Amino acid sequence: MFQTIVDISNKVFQPIIDMGAPVLMLIILTLLAWAFGVKFSKALEGGIKLAIALTGIGLIMGILTGSFSDAMQAFVKNTGFDLSITDVGWAPLATVTWGSPYTLFFLLIMVIVNIVMLMMNKTDTLDVDIFDIWHLSIVGLFAMYCGANIIIATLLVVFIGVLKIINSDLMKPTFDDLLKAPAANPMTTTHMNYMMNPVIMLLDKIFDKLFPWLDKYDFDAAALNKKIGFWGSKFAIGVYLGVFVGILGGQTPKEIFALAFTAGASLELFSIIGSWFIASVEPLSQGITNFANKKMEGRKFNIGLDWPFIAGRAEVWAAANVLAPIMLLEAMILPGNKLLPLGGIIAMGVTPALLVVTRGKLIRMIVIGALELPLFLWSGTLMAEFITKTATQIDPAKYANMGLISHTTMEGPIEKFLAYVVGNASTGEFKFIMYALVALVLYLGIFVWYAGQMKKRNAEYAAQKA
Amino acid sequence: MIKILAACGAGVNSSHQIKSALEQEMGNRGYEVQCDAVMVKDINEDMISHYDIFAPIAQTDLGFNINIPIVDCGPILYRIPMMADPVYNQMEETIKSLGK
Repeated sequence: MFQTIVDISNKVFQPIIDMGAPVLMLIILTLLAWAFGVKFSKALEGGIKLAIALTGIGLIMGILTGSFSDAMQAFVKNTGFDLSITDVGWAPLATVTWGSPYTLFFLLIMVIVNIVMLMMNKTDTLDVDIFDIWHLSIVGLFAMYCGANIIIATLLVVFIGVLKIINSDLMKPTFDDLLKAPAANPMTTTHMNYMMNPVIMLLDKIFDKLFPWLDKYDFDAAALNKKIGFWGSKFAIGVYLGVFVGILGGQTPKEIFALAFTAGASLELFSIIGSWFIASVEPLSQGITNFANKKMEGRKFNIGLDWPFIAGRAEVWAAANVLAPIMLLEAMILPGNKLLPLGGIIAMGVTPALLVVTRGKLIRMIVIGALELPLFLWSGTLMAEFITKTATQIDPAKYANMGLISHTTMEGPIEKFLAYVVGNASTGEFKFIMYALVALVLYLGIFVWYAGQMKKRNAEYAAQKA
Repeated sequence: MIKILAACGAGVNSSHQIKSALEQEMGNRGYEVQCDAVMVKDINEDMISHYDIFAPIAQTDLGFNINIPIVDCGPILYRIPMMADPVYNQMEETIKSLGK
């Protein structure tokens, strides 16, 4: 009986799976959005956009890694720095993740978890940032790649997901403070980058003890950003890192310029195609929000958005600008790192959490940022094989020989290490089971300590208002 | 044609939602608007001088004075029409005040 069901579903679904990720995801995304009450034509529009985004990002990845592969090998040989993994930034990683049907599965689970938490009054946040489920999904997918089964991976995703939702409640008064907004303002976020807050807060406490005098050297963040001008923009970064690799790789001037402009063009195109991705999920996001709203009638709640509602704070960008050259240096000397910063060099996945914990003390943001960047580089290096293999599956024939890719500043580096140990522990190896237990206890322990600190902070905010 | 500048972190998610919503809703109300979405960090005085209205998510510090009208568009991101309406109304008032 069971075997028949498996046989039939294989007969029906295998040909669709064999058509490749774009076709499969077109069908699934369209049907899912339709099921959430989105008009069929809107749902289909989203599905097609996802398919072209998956295809488009693959094309650009091919161009970028293809044109850099020879120069990178020469760079590694000439300099002795083994930085052979190309940093493609966030968009291709979102692709890899949104190219998997498991992402929609994790999304549905988290929608249910969120609604249940709201109903049980365990949170005040309704998360409408559907696109960014990929940050959580990639943790689950990586755990499965390392050996976890779907149940273990789902448990890990839910565990981190619940902490993310609790964190958005903890941060809400700080956001009001940073935005100078009244408490009635519903903006908060469950974004993964803020899961670094506990570690940052620990470093911040150490900073309090050792270097409190440094704070008086804080400088004007907006003025710095204004001076940097276009040198911090995507195409400029692509160009000068292309020149950097080209020169150290001993290329001819013609080749150096070709590398520079290819890198600049690729970084701009990644971001354009990234916007297709987000647009593709838009109908589903609206459908889910409508659905959740209906369930929540009469319940007052805050709304979980993508992180950039605080992007108007100049410190986010000033810290990212200063951290970029620091990261380049760290990448070259850090043992175990194989990533040369490129697409992720403006550390948007790092600095918002620094802003929230330090509340805009710029020198602290930079010092703590420099201290935590190695975690991001190591996690990016650890993920490279998984990301490249999964990306290649989008079109195996075309990308079979693609060099290794990853992302230098992907939000949630600690969660990637958790996925790694939990995944490996699932294979039954005793050593990894111990690692996983210790890691999970530490992860939860530091979060609980951080939650206590944030509650103290929030009580102070409440006292100020009273 | 009214030109609006929206901005967020990567210039692709929140600001694109604002762009689509403003273009659609202002279009429905009979105004011809074009909205561009960019990264906050890429905005400079020259860029902003080419627009009629600045539409950030929330208060934004660019390091210089903004000489065009500003309409905070954060509530559009809540995906709840009732909460977005005041933003659209304010945007409509601002467009009218431009007298274009």
